[in-house]
Amino acid sequence: MEKALSEEKTASRKRAKVKPSELFAKILFIVCACLSIVAVFGIIGYILYGSIPAFREIGFFRFLFGTTWQPTHDRFGILPMLVNSLIVTLGAIIIGGTVGVFTAIFLAFWCPDKFHFQYKGKNEFLKKLIAGINKINLRTIFDQIIKVLAGIPSIVYGLFGMEVLVSLFSGGSPIGGKGILTCSVLLAIMILPTVTSLSKNALDAVPEQYFEGALAMGNTKAQAVFRVVVPAARSGIISALILGVGRAVGEAMAVIWVSGNRALFPTGLFSYIRTLTTNIVMEMGYATNIHRSALIATGLVLLVLVLIITLSLNLVPKEFKGKRGDKVLNGDASATYVFRKKGTVCNVCAIFGMVCAGLVAVILLAIILYILISGVGCLTSAFLFGEASVNTPTLGPALLATLELIGITLLIALPVGICAAIYLNEYAKKGSKIVKVIRTFIDALSGVPSIVFGLFGNILFVTALGLGFSVWGGAFTMVLVVLPTVIRSTEEALFAVPMPLREASYGLGASKVRTIFKIVLPSAFPGIATAAILSIGRIIGESAALIFTMGTAFNFSGNPGGAGSSLAVLLYSCANEGLHMNEAYALAVILLLLTLILNLIVYFIQRHVKKKR
Amino acid sequence: MNIFKKRAPAAEQAAEEGSKTNEKKHATLDIFDFSGENAITVKDVDLYYGEFQALKNINMAMPKYQITAMIGPSGCGKSTLIKTLNRMNDLVEGCRVEGEITIGGLNIYDKGVDLSALRKNVGMVFQKPNPFPMSVYDNIAYGPRTFGIKKKSTLDEIVERSLKQAAMWDELKDRLNKSALGLSGGQQQRLCIARALAVGPQILLMDEPTSALDPISTGKIEELCEELKKDVTIVMVTHNMQQAARISDKTAFFLLGEMIEMGDTEQIFSAPTHPETERYITGRFG
Ligand SMILES: Nc1ncnc2c1ncn2[C@@H]1O[C@H](COP(=O)(O)OP(=O)(O)OP(=O)(O)O)[C@@H](O)[C@H]1O
Ligand SMILES: [Mg+2]
Repeated sequence: MEKALSEEKTASRKRAKVKPSELFAKILFIVCACLSIVAVFGIIGYILYGSIPAFREIGFFRFLFGTTWQPTHDRFGILPMLVNSLIVTLGAIIIGGTVGVFTAIFLAFWCPDKFHFQYKGKNEFLKKLIAGINKINLRTIFDQIIKVLAGIPSIVYGLFGMEVLVSLFSGGSPIGGKGILTCSVLLAIMILPTVTSLSKNALDAVPEQYFEGALAMGNTKAQAVFRVVVPAARSGIISALILGVGRAVGEAMAVIWVSGNRALFPTGLFSYIRTLTTNIVMEMGYATNIHRSALIATGLVLLVLVLIITLSLNLVPKEFKGKRGDKVLNGDASATYVFRKKGTVCNVCAIFGMVCAGLVAVILLAIILYILISGVGCLTSAFLFGEASVNTPTLGPALLATLELIGITLLIALPVGICAAIYLNEYAKKGSKIVKVIRTFIDALSGVPSIVFGLFGNILFVTALGLGFSVWGGAFTMVLVVLPTVIRSTEEALFAVPMPLREASYGLGASKVRTIFKIVLPSAFPGIATAAILSIGRIIGESAALIFTMGTAFNFSGNPGGAGSSLAVLLYSCANEGLHMNEAYALAVILLLLTLILNLIVYFIQRHVKKKR
Repeated sequence: MNIFKKRAPAAEQAAEEGSKTNEKKHATLDIFDFSGENAITVKDVDLYYGEFQALKNINMAMPKYQITAMIGPSGCGKSTLIKTLNRMNDLVEGCRVEGEITIGGLNIYDKGVDLSALRKNVGMVFQKPNPFPMSVYDNIAYGPRTFGIKKKSTLDEIVERSLKQAAMWDELKDRLNKSALGLSGGQQQRLCIARALAVGPQILLMDEPTSALDPISTGKIEELCEELKKDVTIVMVTHNMQQAARISDKTAFFLLGEMIEMGDTEQIFSAPTHPETERYITGRFG
């Protein structure tokens, strides 16, 4: 026994020899992977640090439980806004969660691959048209619908909400349709993609035996789905809903124009409100001293709330659950009784799923059509090609600022994110503690609300590091925003590179670093390109994180050290005071088209990869 | 055609290029000395995957310039053993090797053995063809480039020589810049052999190299092996009894992590000493 132990020791010592360059690379990868941890602690630390003056002056409990927010009278109680945020989120999750989950169920079980229209007439054109329609893959279409919905910038949702939802709801309200219900509906739409795609993943992951077993015991398809498969996918669906909640709590820009902006407790469905996020956006621009600190403290409350929500994901058990599922798998006869019932409820649910899916498609269509119809006419040459001044916004400077922002952000985020992904996928032991910790922090980082990133960037880059409102400040902030996306998509791509390729390289005497850079990364290139494009989408659509880091100036000198608006931020400033609505619509059209184009590119890359396999 | 008799052509060429770093790097490559009678000697080797012992007290020797076949039922540890010979098992988490494996006069599990140098001398061909997703040329040049050869003319030479060695030059000389993924399965596998040859190995390890191929490609690879053994020592795992009987000089039979017996192929197939060997062989022959 002792001999074995000592030999084990020598064996491990033998293995320990690593060349300096290899060691250096490994350390670099680890450092990049741990950057997410640093980022999360950094954000918490700086936000906390910025809140301390407020807590000291106002008192923690007076701040959290105070019921009046009157900065001019030095009253800083955020309880109404906290309550509003929670109520609006609850509304969003009830509406969006229901629609999202049922849509996912429809997509997972009922959505046909293709249309099956029949046409027996003689009209050649119609015949071709119908044949063409029948060729469309409906699943792919829905997949794209969900992705486009996820990609539309918050600020565009905000515009849609302000112009369409508000007037839609104003019929039922004496004071103009803003408030709790409108916010909830808008947020519900925004969390739809998250809830739907994650729920669908969870449903797809349920082993086929559950479904087949239930059918074999004599229940209908609807019964099998709703009584066995959906309960089995419960934990995944719950996770999807939790992420939806996190998203809704942290959303700022979409609700800023539909909330009504009153920091009071709600009294009805249409009472005007202000949420934690909008409170920051509305006042951060001019706040000083204690007021500013109180706003940062608002961000802290938001951050803590979201971190709790994200971390609670880890508490959701990961296994498939469901009593009936177990019974079905065991062939337990006591399960059959339940299944013999007629199952009307389940059939109704199935139909409801279809309705929800249709609703999702209609919503997207409505948004796209509305923006295009009201916006295309606003694409005037004066806006597109004219010169900007302090009072006239034009496309040129914003486009330039956005391009610089994208360039700088990617130049930092891609290498760091790729290195982190390399560590997680190529070096770390699968399922080891450090990997779990890093992943938790990546999740946490991806859950941090945009507006909190904005606060952090404002405190650290703009103020403490003295960069001022600048593209630099915006880019550094955006690096943190896109890092989780880059890491995750790169990791997926690395994971998909077949092991035998690595073995072949090692077998030829190549080192680990050479194998990674010459074999693994090139093979993962399409995935990395996807990561880059997703990041570009995120940067283009971001506004809350940029307003207080890059500024809202209409002019931009071209120097990244200066302030400038990105496209999305420009939309915000154009519409915020209602002075430049035409420009705002033009920008909405441009943002929407960019979203669609980026989605198409990703789609084609992924199709290309699939074909190759 | 006897480039492999002069050892490590790639290393020499690198040295010719005259770069200091290369010289330094390749000084370590010459630590192997293959003048002895056996290319590989395995002594008292135990291997564990965590708690599980996959190899039990293995002792065997592979004579130089011969083909040694390893046979045995699935899960008996053939792949595990062949992977210890170029330390590919280092990639497996929780894998522990005890005992001694001597290759070219060195215990390869000694501290400080340069894995890169080891694998340059002990090439490997895998069960499923695994060409890199690059051109035929780049596939073959990958190994030499790993060892610092950059000069185009030198690489051209190595690529041509390796492809000729693998009897593919005529087939592929016009497709050098096409993706290797476009080749047939059999071609891919022979390309992998050529790729392994390009770094000038003394030993070639092959783990069921033909199990994923059709009979014609299999035949070509067997021919190739017979040709190659003039210059390299081959260790081959196979599930195909006829294949072992046809091309190998020595055969080793494994069962449940133990080597039951090893001897001349003819003797093993005609008069095995152990009843298990006989049962396995006859069972397989039907
Ligand atoms: N990475 C690993 N971790 C744990 N156990 C392993 C690992 N690889 C192989 N084993 C176990 O070691 C034993 C030998 O496996 P090995 O792959 O060497 O068998 P084999 O003789 O090559 O079989 P086959 O003919 O099917 O290829 C098996 O019991 C296998 O389950
Ligand atoms: Mg094997």
